[in-house]
Amino acid sequence: MAASTSAAGPVAHHFDSMNQQHATVRLGMWLFLVTEVLFFGGVFCAYTAYRIWYPQDFDAGSAALNVGIATVNTFLLLLSSLTITLAIRSAYVSDRRGLQRNLLLTIVLAAAFLGLKAREYHLDYEEGLIPSTEMIRKMEKVEVVDPKTGEKSIRQEEVLVSKFNHALVEVLDREGYKGVPGKDYDPYRVQLFFMFYYSMTGLHVLHMVIGLGLLTWQFILASNGFFDYQSRYVYIEAMSLYWHFVDMVWMFILPLLYLCGPHTFDQAVHQFKHAIGMSGSH
Amino acid sequence: MAHDHHSHSTELHEQETGVHTVPPISTTLVTFGVLASLAVLALFIGFSNDLGGMKVVASLTVATVQAGVLAYFFMDLKQADALTWLVAASALFWTGLLFLFTLTDYLTRHLGVL
Amino acid sequence: MSAANDKNDYLDYTPQTFPAPEPTAEQDRTRIHYLNNENTLRSWLLTVDHKRIGLLYLFSVTFFFLFGGIAAMLVRTNLITPTGAILELDQYNKAFTAHGTIMLFLFLIPVIPGVLGNFLIPMMIGAKDLAFPKLNLLSWYVFMAGASLFVWQLLVGGIDTGWTLYPPYSSKYSQNSILYAGLGIFVTGFSSILTGVNIIATIHKMRAPGMTWGRLPLFCWAMYATSVIQLLGTPVIAVTVVMLAVERVFGVGIFDPNLGGDPILFQHMFWFYSHPAVYIMILPGMGVISEVLTCFARKNIFGYKAVAWSSVGIAVVGFLVWGHHMFISGQGYYLGMVFAFLTMLVAVPSAIKVFNWTATLYGGSITYQAPMIHAIGFIVLFTIGGLTGLYLGTMGTDIHLHDTYFVIAHFHFTMVGGMMFAWQAGLHFWWPKMTGKMYSDFWSRLAAVIMITGFALTFLPQFVVGYLGMPRRYPNYPEEFQFYNIMSTAGASIQGLGYLMPVFYLTASLFFGRPAGNNPFKATGLEWQTQSPPHPHNFETTPAVYFGPYEYGVENGLSIFTNENGDHLPTDTTTPKEGVTSGS
Repeated sequence: MAASTSAAGPVAHHFDSMNQQHATVRLGMWLFLVTEVLFFGGVFCAYTAYRIWYPQDFDAGSAALNVGIATVNTFLLLLSSLTITLAIRSAYVSDRRGLQRNLLLTIVLAAAFLGLKAREYHLDYEEGLIPSTEMIRKMEKVEVVDPKTGEKSIRQEEVLVSKFNHALVEVLDREGYKGVPGKDYDPYRVQLFFMFYYSMTGLHVLHMVIGLGLLTWQFILASNGFFDYQSRYVYIEAMSLYWHFVDMVWMFILPLLYLCGPHTFDQAVHQFKHAIGMSGSH
Repeated sequence: MAHDHHSHSTELHEQETGVHTVPPISTTLVTFGVLASLAVLALFIGFSNDLGGMKVVASLTVATVQAGVLAYFFMDLKQADALTWLVAASALFWTGLLFLFTLTDYLTRHLGVL
Repeated sequence: MSAANDKNDYLDYTPQTFPAPEPTAEQDRTRIHYLNNENTLRSWLLTVDHKRIGLLYLFSVTFFFLFGGIAAMLVRTNLITPTGAILELDQYNKAFTAHGTIMLFLFLIPVIPGVLGNFLIPMMIGAKDLAFPKLNLLSWYVFMAGASLFVWQLLVGGIDTGWTLYPPYSSKYSQNSILYAGLGIFVTGFSSILTGVNIIATIHKMRAPGMTWGRLPLFCWAMYATSVIQLLGTPVIAVTVVMLAVERVFGVGIFDPNLGGDPILFQHMFWFYSHPAVYIMILPGMGVISEVLTCFARKNIFGYKAVAWSSVGIAVVGFLVWGHHMFISGQGYYLGMVFAFLTMLVAVPSAIKVFNWTATLYGGSITYQAPMIHAIGFIVLFTIGGLTGLYLGTMGTDIHLHDTYFVIAHFHFTMVGGMMFAWQAGLHFWWPKMTGKMYSDFWSRLAAVIMITGFALTFLPQFVVGYLGMPRRYPNYPEEFQFYNIMSTAGASIQGLGYLMPVFYLTASLFFGRPAGNNPFKATGLEWQTQSPPHPHNFETTPAVYFGPYEYGVENGLSIFTNENGDHLPTDTTTPKEGVTSGS
């Protein structure tokens, strides 16, 4: 914290004072966050509309999600909120090493989140939980009535079923979901849930990727001494506002998408272990 | 000097008020602790299966409290001026309008002609 | 060092002379202004000067306006005969969609915020630039990227869903340009958002000392309200377009009834933005009208507070009425009633403005230069448009009028008769400020009259034919409507001529126009107190403001500035400048 490194930086030409410049930067980021709230608000509103119409089906969809990864991701993201807040402090006291460390930690935590999320998407793909109109052939017990004698018999026949529906029923069976397809839930409606799952988490991922890029840029700037001027800490603060917003969105995605269906803690642990390749049985 | 005639009829830039400081590390860490505990609570609610209809209400309440703590401490609404509070409140209010009118349709459409 | 950086004592400035003295011919040729301080292509394409960015927007929107105009001529020409004169059915759908989308997204929404907002707001509040100059430049590039993608898609494939993009047609049956065109719209939406952020931050944080909210020009109030709408509404259409794209890509639908989806949900989310969008379009125009009327009637605005707060009122209430586009779509009746009632409310702030403008004109000393002709045209035509909106906002009559030419006439009266003419008024009013040149008085007045005449001939018959039942977006219609359609097309040609004329005489003014001087219309805004064209930094030092924005007609009127001794400089704001009304 030598006096020379905590010098105030130059005021931009169109501002009259550093205080004015700071206040404007903060206001600018808050205004941008308004648009982000409305952006996510839109898709959350659409989700809510359908949740009102199809509560059972959305429950079933939620039961098929990997809540283990989601749990770990929640804490990763919270930790990253902490580290970026500490980064503001480092910039404020012109602690370049501390700033680099805290930014780097945030980046690592964000990357870990995204890595687990990628794994989650990959598992979804493997399990076949991609909404589509594709049909596959499956052997199923079908009740057949002989047209001549009127006799009923059960036969194994090849039928066309929706690829997604088939995959969904398998996953829900594995997770021990106590619902009967067709009676307690309609697999076609669950496709709607999965559209929202991919859209909402996908948009969230997109925002995290952009945030990750910006954090990396700030890390590079910090390493080059850009933030040695104490007055420039406000840009770290602006970044943190964005990052905290991303965390806030996740705070709502978790209960709305992941936790609304029936899950148990053991299930979560098991799912996470499977995700990172620890447990063999499935 | 040029000061006299400026005295009562001009005003300071809005920006001259409200210099921000950084809160102590202890505040930051305690806030994190609170957020983490709330996350644990949210997961606890999520993993319990005998709440029925209250489950959604409870988990959204916890999420709202979490968001409030995050906004007040980490996003520094604590030190922010009235304008920032107005901006944040407007975002929530307008999202509320979107929800209110759209969901009214979904909740009353089936009633037909009144 | 800290004293230089942290200029707390704004009182301690060395003021430039306000108002700036009229230049001599020698000074006019040699002085530095924002157009001649740098002349490389790089200095234009990488500028962060809000004035140059305003001009970049001017070139872009004029270019896109011409595209939209060509599409309009295709539509109107096709409607000369009841069975379609020049276009196939499919081409007709693409033509009216192109016309609607281009005019709305690439012209009406960006024009005044991008050109006049960028150029004038810093000058009107006494700042050197907008809050975020680099973001401003980015905003233009984002606009160009999105707009170019969009226009390219229109040219290579076309979209035929109507500008409203309703599913399931847009999600399942229409062809693939929708996806990329939607992406284009998404990207231009970002431009809207960035401009809005910039303007709000600027007006809050960068006003000169003494420029209180109560002294802010009404143009700034209007731009502020517009920016608030942009921030709150644009993201919702962005996410709606995203969901539509997801539906197209995956083939399974969020809005598809076969899968339990609801097409009306799309309409809710679409109109949540698109109705406030029309206020994004009209509010800046209303701001311009307040500036123009006061100047050419030499009178203070009547009811400053009412006009200022009505802008805010329109911004807020405008978000509560979107369902009036959906009365017969299948939304709930109860909700429809609520929307109908709120629609009646939203008319009130607009009406307040019209009354206040009329009262401003009363007792004024009116001269009829081109900006004033456009402004008066605005008041008349916008009022007609607004009144006809009431029929559409009432559930009962809307059942008959929905999706007819009555609707088309209504929104063209407000958007063209209103906004377009407000844009022309603003362009003509501030052209001397932006370029330092005066355009031909005769040609500008003639063009204004031609535009208004052409407009009336185009759209008045459409009220009649819409009421008689002619549906919108149909390329074919019953024989008995042909007369009205021919009248309408004739009017459109006259209008087209009118819109082309400024391109010529304004361009001519750049080369042959006489120097305008600093304040040819003797207006009172801060922007008129410095040189035309303005200095790169607008003001050499931050001015201090003592009076309201429309101190017209004050005997021995006091200037709103002082010299270095603190003496208020007298300025004669009672008489318009000699020679302004005669041609060059």
